[in-house]
Amino acid sequence: MKTRFLLLFTISSLSAFSQTIVTGIVTDEKGEGIPGANVFIQDSYDGISSDADGKFSFSTDEKGSKFLVVTFVGYKQFQQAVELNGQPIKVNVSLREEINQLDAVVISAGSFTAGEEKRRTILKPIDIATTAGATADIAGALNTLPGTTKVGESGRLFVRGGDSNEARTFIDGMVVLDAYGPSAPNTPSRGRFLPFMFKGTSFSTGGYSAEYGQALSSALVLNSKDKAEMNQTDIGIMSVGADVAHTQVWDRASLSGKIQYTNVRPYFGMINQEVDWKTPPASLEGSAAYRKQIGKDGFVKFFGNFNQSDYSLFIHDILDPQVKYQYDLGNDYRYGNGSYLQSLNENWTMRGGLSYTYIQNKVKIDGIPLGDVEKGIHAKAVLENSVSDRIEIRFGGELIERDFEATRQNENSNQAELLSFREPITAAFTEGEIYASKRFVTKVGGRMEYNNLIDQLSVDPRLSVAYKPGKQGQFALAYGTFRQTSKNEYVMFNNNLNPEKADHYILNYQVINDKKTFRVETYYKKYYQLVKFENGNLQQLNNKGRGYAKGVEFFWRDNETIRNVDYWISYSYLDTERDYLYFPSSATPSFTSKHNFSAVYKHFVTSLKTQFGLTYSFASGRTYFNPNNSLEDFNTDKTPFYQDVSANIAYLPKSNLIIYLSCTNLLGRDNIFGYQYSVQPNANGEFVSRAIRQAAPRFLFVGVFITISKNKSVNQLPNL
Amino acid sequence: MKTKLTFILSLMLSSAIANDRYTDQMIKNIETVYKAQTNEEFQSAINLFERIGNAEKTKWEPFYYASFGYLMQAVRQQEGSKKDQFLDLAASSLDKAKAIKENESEIVALEGFIYMIRLTVDPATRGPQYSSMAMQSFGKAIGLNPENPRALTFMAQMQYGTAQFFKSPTTEACQTLAVAFEKYETYKSDNPLAPTWGKGAADDMKEQCK
Repeated sequence: MKTRFLLLFTISSLSAFSQTIVTGIVTDEKGEGIPGANVFIQDSYDGISSDADGKFSFSTDEKGSKFLVVTFVGYKQFQQAVELNGQPIKVNVSLREEINQLDAVVISAGSFTAGEEKRRTILKPIDIATTAGATADIAGALNTLPGTTKVGESGRLFVRGGDSNEARTFIDGMVVLDAYGPSAPNTPSRGRFLPFMFKGTSFSTGGYSAEYGQALSSALVLNSKDKAEMNQTDIGIMSVGADVAHTQVWDRASLSGKIQYTNVRPYFGMINQEVDWKTPPASLEGSAAYRKQIGKDGFVKFFGNFNQSDYSLFIHDILDPQVKYQYDLGNDYRYGNGSYLQSLNENWTMRGGLSYTYIQNKVKIDGIPLGDVEKGIHAKAVLENSVSDRIEIRFGGELIERDFEATRQNENSNQAELLSFREPITAAFTEGEIYASKRFVTKVGGRMEYNNLIDQLSVDPRLSVAYKPGKQGQFALAYGTFRQTSKNEYVMFNNNLNPEKADHYILNYQVINDKKTFRVETYYKKYYQLVKFENGNLQQLNNKGRGYAKGVEFFWRDNETIRNVDYWISYSYLDTERDYLYFPSSATPSFTSKHNFSAVYKHFVTSLKTQFGLTYSFASGRTYFNPNNSLEDFNTDKTPFYQDVSANIAYLPKSNLIIYLSCTNLLGRDNIFGYQYSVQPNANGEFVSRAIRQAAPRFLFVGVFITISKNKSVNQLPNL
Repeated sequence: MKTKLTFILSLMLSSAIANDRYTDQMIKNIETVYKAQTNEEFQSAINLFERIGNAEKTKWEPFYYASFGYLMQAVRQQEGSKKDQFLDLAASSLDKAKAIKENESEIVALEGFIYMIRLTVDPATRGPQYSSMAMQSFGKAIGLNPENPRALTFMAQMQYGTAQFFKSPTTEACQTLAVAFEKYETYKSDNPLAPTWGKGAADDMKEQCK
């Protein structure tokens, strides 16, 4: 009996000291079992995957104090100290969701993000390049999105009842003072930056981050590409010029440069233009980008471009077209930008940058000089801290200094006079993003600015929340106060003008799945402190102007239903009025239209190795004032509606060759953007009008693009 | 005859190293991941690879095969975003392998394969970028080991796809494939845990090169 007992004891103690059985269950926060979780003793092979109910049971030879670890994709790692001494152990594991997952809610009100093609995004960088009618212009492509108004004679972005100067562009976080190239009066201008330079764009039509200041209506944030992967040379021969680019790649750095010469003179020689050109526009531009990896976690980017362009044209008097005066423009532009990104440790990231813009406009009207020069410096530093996967905070400081100098003809003395201002703005901003769960996120922030020119300190709040009740759909809300110094042409007359201000309120609902997007957004925007002419006098300016904009917008994109076809449709309804500048009362400004509609269609035909694109745009009539009517009817007349059908074809006969053809306004509609009236009435006492039309009914573009690299399968498709 | 010999050889091998727990467990689990069909089977094999990898710390093979397991799951998904999720996991496991052994031809080839599958999710957008990245990886993998049959097979596939798209001759691709076939027969790594998969992909392509 005794021996038997002893034997039993020995056996049990032996087994006790050789193996420990670990059992338990893995559940999520709601108590649901998680199957397939990896449950193991740290630094050993011993462990198992949890079963279909989340249960697990395994034995281990390990002894003493160890850690039991449980991991599962999308959840935070679980770790618990256990004592392995042969006694069975039961551990119930509750895993906490990790937030930075693809299906977590995101702040979406007001913004269209394109980039990181892995993410579900509404618009990809390549979409910008391949949208018909956009002719590879960033603003051109964004003008097919809701929230924008098509202002055909400008080509710029007009967002939600805002003027084009209210939409600011940022490259790698740094402000760009004038993102558009020069254009003749009433002809569309193109962006200075080519879409292929960027890996991502975020186009915000309101309620954007506290990091972006001095923008009243919209922030277009462009993120430039990282280090290039391959040496290559690109050559483009176009109907309006030529370009050559080269990229050189090193192990940890890359350098690319591009030179482009554009001359529309031969083209304008062939196709009749509405404009009476003396010398049509020609420009020389170049850009260079250098990227370098610094250490293990640092990255530095430099970008610079210059552009020199000029043209000369005749402006005819409306009353007597025989009377004309000559308008010359020379534009000299330089932009440089350096940015730096460094992760300091697991939680902290630092980024910063410096940008410099120089713009000189040499304008002459009948030989009388009317030039201006603007110089701007922007310096910024931002620190970001991931406190946990649920809380992220960001704060930073910046300096935006602008120097403006213009020559104007004094109306009284008829002498040239110099008008100028220097405006240094220092700002600090902070923002926190807090995830209560995967379904609910709040972003709170504020921006403090000190404007040295007017000696004014201001604080603007920002708030957004987003809630995702189901798997795909989500609601978002955004609010914010925004300010921006009024246009240079007013500040130069009155250095004491206050900044113009706007409050944004946005409500958004969107559903994004793999290949389809639906989105509806409604907003209210209140404008105040707008510049107003006292008694209609430009020399007497105040900040008594005010206004509002409200609207509803829809967006639908489908890349799935029809094979090889991708299309999107957007519609915007806009109701806006302002009482500002020379307006006699509150009225709808002429750069807005009530209804805007766009449909973009892209079809890749594999057998023809060709992509076809078609874009249809519609905008209801825009307001204008007919001075033959009484002032009570200010801006109550409307132009005919705007309509455009554009097409493009990209053909890839060989892997490194693209032939590109595009044409705007296929139907040749005579779009009228507005009317200009004579300054003086004619002999019958009537003011005579002249319609503002497209410079030419159509714009035809042909280009051949060749890529030379070791890898023959590389072509310029992503550039187009 | 040949299979018999391999069988005996592998028997001898496995008996010779029976006391090497690492090799033993790995060989068994590599077999499991090769045979896995369902997500559960893959996940359980991957979990073991990760346990071994976490315990060993100096071995690249466990994370290589964990990555391979995720990649095989990615291949089986229908929905693009699901594919991407598995590819993200495959890439992060492979990064761990890379951190242990930087210039391993097999790791670099698998990296190229990940790019290749990324490409298939959205060829129109990702084509130009990922095709060049994949080809670069395969080129590098072949450079590190000119006899790596997997790198050669995928290189052949990329070359074939490019040639087909542009309707140019597929001779180069088929030549590469022929070399790949030869290497599947002749190349034997001295690492008992070295990958042996991929011949099926070469077989599939054989038809096209007739």
